[in-house]
Amino acid sequence: MKRFLVLFVPFVLASSIGGAPAWSAETETVFKFYCAQCHGLGGKGDGPNVTKDFPVTPRDFTSAKEMDKLSDADMKNVILDGGPAVSKSPLMPPWGKTLTSEQVDGLIKHLRKLCKCKGKQG
Amino acid sequence: MKSILKAALSTAFLIAAASSSSAEPAAGKAVFEAKGCAQCHYTDGPAREKTIDDQLAKKGPELWYAGSKFQKGWLAGWLADPKPIRPLKFNSLDEENADDHPKLAGDDAANVTDFLMSLTVDAVEAGVIKPKRNVKGKQIFIKKMPCSGCHQASGRKGKISGGRSGPSLVGAGERLNPDWIYAYLKNPTVFKPVKAMPTFAGILKDKDIKNVATYVSNFKAKKK
Ligand code: HEC
Ligand code: HEC
Ligand code: HEC
Repeated sequence: MKRFLVLFVPFVLASSIGGAPAWSAETETVFKFYCAQCHGLGGKGDGPNVTKDFPVTPRDFTSAKEMDKLSDADMKNVILDGGPAVSKSPLMPPWGKTLTSEQVDGLIKHLRKLCKCKGKQG
Repeated sequence: MKSILKAALSTAFLIAAASSSSAEPAAGKAVFEAKGCAQCHYTDGPAREKTIDDQLAKKGPELWYAGSKFQKGWLAGWLADPKPIRPLKFNSLDEENADDHPKLAGDDAANVTDFLMSLTVDAVEAGVIKPKRNVKGKQIFIKKMPCSGCHQASGRKGKISGGRSGPSLVGAGERLNPDWIYAYLKNPTVFKPVKAMPTFAGILKDKDIKNVATYVSNFKAKKK
């Protein structure tokens, strides 16, 4: 049993942290399917829903300045429960009943890649 | 033995029911296939999509529950003279709807309407939603929830505003069955297991899902 664990654990770590290419391709698909509607295919906050009627600008994920204000936990919060959960606009939808927790974790990593920033720690 | 008899009886009943409601659904099905509609639309449920890639591979919306989703009068008119429903091209975020949906001539449109209206599902309970003004539903649609961020609707003086990634809901009260709107919001995965719209069941209370369905089912194309 112990030997099995020893063999198994490094494998899990390698496949989740080591950035298996299949996984990030999947996350990119998830981002483009759900989030790009407002945040834009490149994440700049310029999706097709953002017309002159759209009252707030969806976060530009490529802005390290804005994105550095958020910790990973803040991001998870707003993705699961929507804008109002963090006193932001209700136009940011709650995705908690739509996405799996693996998809949400993947998206957070994807947003960090887009902003090239680490975010608020803790 | 009893159950065989029951089955035989109900089969006889089904055949009788199908033939008594005239032959149009069968004629319409033949037109649907002959005109190539089936290349872009599937008409046999349940839902097939399991992944985002499955959804993106589709060339048109699924029609297997069309009889529960649409209003007959709207469908007959639209098949003969289709106008864009989705502002953007189906499954695209960066191309406009080209307004090039195949048209059907008079008789064909009527027969295909009968065929599509015969595709009903039990998941839509009849008589739950009565279209009318609904202040709570309006607040949810415009203020509390992001509906207007992805859907167009007509507001004061018929001015159309709203997002462009979802189907336009202008005139939704003339196009969609009110009870389908509720069933879809309440139990979306039966109809669309993979969809770019967030699931609101479990986020909105049942009462509020009814409120917003009531509000949307009252959307008119033109102010009367
Ligand atoms: C209907 C449009 C819409 C969609 C779709 C959408 N967002 Fe947003 N999002 C917004 C808006 C608008 C804001 C800005 C809210 C504000 O500043 O008040 C926002 C802000 C954010 C923020 C920053 C929150 C903060 O506290 O600054 C994150 C993170 C975010 N969205 C992630 C996502 C992810 C991940 C997805 C896809 C699962 C997504 N969004 C889909 C509209 C949307
Ligand atoms: C090349 C692919 C293609 C073919 C062929 C095609 N359709 Fe469509 N159909 C679409 C697309 C894309 C839409 C969405 C149009 C829109 O939103 O404006 C659509 C929408 C519809 C709708 C409304 C569905 C909804 O959920 O909004 C009906 C009904 C329909 N088509 C019936 C037909 C019939 C009947 C035929 C055959 C005469 C046909 N289609 C042929 C692609 C196709
Ligand atoms: C992030 C964007 C987004 C938000 C927010 C959103 N929708 Fe949608 N909605 C869509 C998309 C995309 C579809 C089409 C889904 C499909 O066919 O795969 C859709 C479909 C629908 C339909 C069916 C329309 C048709 O003709 O098939 C209704 C009704 C609807 N939405 C109502 C609502 C309501 C009510 C809300 C708010 C509680 C809402 N939507 C919020 C994107 C959105």
